[in-house]
Amino acid sequence: MGWIRRSWTAAEADEWTKEDVIAIILSPLAYVTLTLGTALSLLLRWEGLVTLGVGIVLTALLHWVIDPKLKAISEEYEQRQKEYLQQLEKTVRWET
Amino acid sequence: MVVFGWLDWLWVALYLLIMIGSGFFFYRLGKRSQSDFFLAGRGLPWWLPAASVYATHTATDTPMWVTGVIYRYGLSGIWYTFFSAWCAISAFVSTRIFRRSLAYTQAEWNVLRFGGLGAELIRGWMAGWQVFMNMFILGWVGIAMGKVCQFLFGWEPWVGLVVFSGACALYVLAAGYWGVVVADFQQGMIAFFIIVLVSLWGIAEAGGPLAIVQKLTAMGEAHRLNPVAFTGWFTGDFPVAWFLTMLFIALLGGFGMGTTIDWFAEAQRIQSARTVRDASYSIWWGSALVLIRNALWAVAILAFYVMFPGIENTAEYELGWFRLGFDFLPAGLVGFFFAGIVAIHLSTISTHLNLGALYATRDLYQHYVKPHASERELVWVGRIATLILLIGSLIYGLMMEEITSWLIFALWIMAAGVWLPNILQVVWWRFNAWGYLSAWIANLGFSWLVVWVLPAFDILPPLADYEQFWLLMVLGALVYLPVTLLTPPENMDHLVKYYVMARPLGWWGPVRREAERRGLLTPKTQPAT
Repeated sequence: MGWIRRSWTAAEADEWTKEDVIAIILSPLAYVTLTLGTALSLLLRWEGLVTLGVGIVLTALLHWVIDPKLKAISEEYEQRQKEYLQQLEKTVRWET
Repeated sequence: MVVFGWLDWLWVALYLLIMIGSGFFFYRLGKRSQSDFFLAGRGLPWWLPAASVYATHTATDTPMWVTGVIYRYGLSGIWYTFFSAWCAISAFVSTRIFRRSLAYTQAEWNVLRFGGLGAELIRGWMAGWQVFMNMFILGWVGIAMGKVCQFLFGWEPWVGLVVFSGACALYVLAAGYWGVVVADFQQGMIAFFIIVLVSLWGIAEAGGPLAIVQKLTAMGEAHRLNPVAFTGWFTGDFPVAWFLTMLFIALLGGFGMGTTIDWFAEAQRIQSARTVRDASYSIWWGSALVLIRNALWAVAILAFYVMFPGIENTAEYELGWFRLGFDFLPAGLVGFFFAGIVAIHLSTISTHLNLGALYATRDLYQHYVKPHASERELVWVGRIATLILLIGSLIYGLMMEEITSWLIFALWIMAAGVWLPNILQVVWWRFNAWGYLSAWIANLGFSWLVVWVLPAFDILPPLADYEQFWLLMVLGALVYLPVTLLTPPENMDHLVKYYVMARPLGWWGPVRREAERRGLLTPKTQPAT
């Protein structure tokens, strides 16, 4: 899976990339399959068990793809958060 | 009516003691600052706001509503509950953008995104609308609890409304969002356990999964087992056109902010998460639990259907899931079930008490009345706002029967005509405050015309709800797109500041290039240093 990037610098992670697009596609598919899979599995339908299995795999894949990027974004952003919060307080007090 | 033994009442008393006690346990944290009273200091790991998302969206009226659509349509009714799937895309798009803005509320985000008088008008309108909406939701959910208590114990509806909303207000007043989120975590666990227990018990009472399938087939109702049993492309109760519209609204809505009424509560949870990553996962997993819960309920309601088919009265079959618990659970467990219902109820009430107070305190009192108020004063204003919301919700709750249809209409108009502008404000740099304001104003007029006035005079045939959605979307665009393009774009300094902080997705080319020209961002073609 070399096509999926697993190592990010802060500036690179801030950009919207194909990993985000993959997450945006996988995520609704995971929701649909988890919902239908749970309902049909409870009725002991074989297609339900298959769908639920697909949903679990999609969920794991989604996190595998997006988690390194989210970690990089978070680490970089938290360093600047204090400055942004000060700006926010100035805005609410009409100081900017 | 249900008769409780001493063990049943013990469960309820213990539960209320733990919930209210936990509020007082976090009293010291809640009173430290506005940030603590409304966002738990922005320091929560993802699983706490995720539990809160799940607990909040499991209200007393939720099992009634889910039961109603599943009893009516079978498993395909599950798609009526699929609107919460907006979080699928939001978790990785609008959640990320909103968390980076650090805005306390959606109203505050509007002044970060837009500037000048237009932005202030939006903030004031949005804050007032949200205070009203939270009061309305509190009344709506509160009276649902009153009706459940009437069904169970024969109490007058106001008793259940006042007793449980009042008990909930105790820990929200004491600890603010700290109390809400900690109680939500406990309530979420109790509620999930109860939902699993009662649903599986109901399925077993119906003879088990295979018996449900066999009985539905024997009744000539096998289509109820098919989640995509469409009634045609445009005809019947469940047309393909409705299904595709629902998917369109639910999924693409995740690119925007405020595309669903749930966004406003979720926005508070997003900002209470300690990092962008925690915010994303809290929204994703909270909604995943909601969808899985709906699936569990759906099968339990199929079980109810095979045991009690042919109920015509909506109010009667909507209580189906509650009946599974109260009719079939053994003595002693019934009280535990009721404690679970109280958990479901309190989690929703506490969220909306604190959320409405947040808009009243941050966006109305601090921004427009006393900008330099101390942290201590803001916490007290938050408490007073909570109390006012509680009293207002009790009044709303008691008059809800008369106004429900009007307020459902108010919810609908909020969703339809401003759905696309709520996305455009996130993804298109050129969309400005005047375009957004004109969308709201146009939508108020068009929705009255399309839903009420024109059909009443036979100028327009009565339309299905999905047809109204598309019509309102087109009519609104005919107003806000010209307004946007005929008025100047937002100030470039303001947009650059917002872009560098929030890094939005979409059509932001000119702003991006300006940020690069000013040396605030590295051009995409150059390696980052």
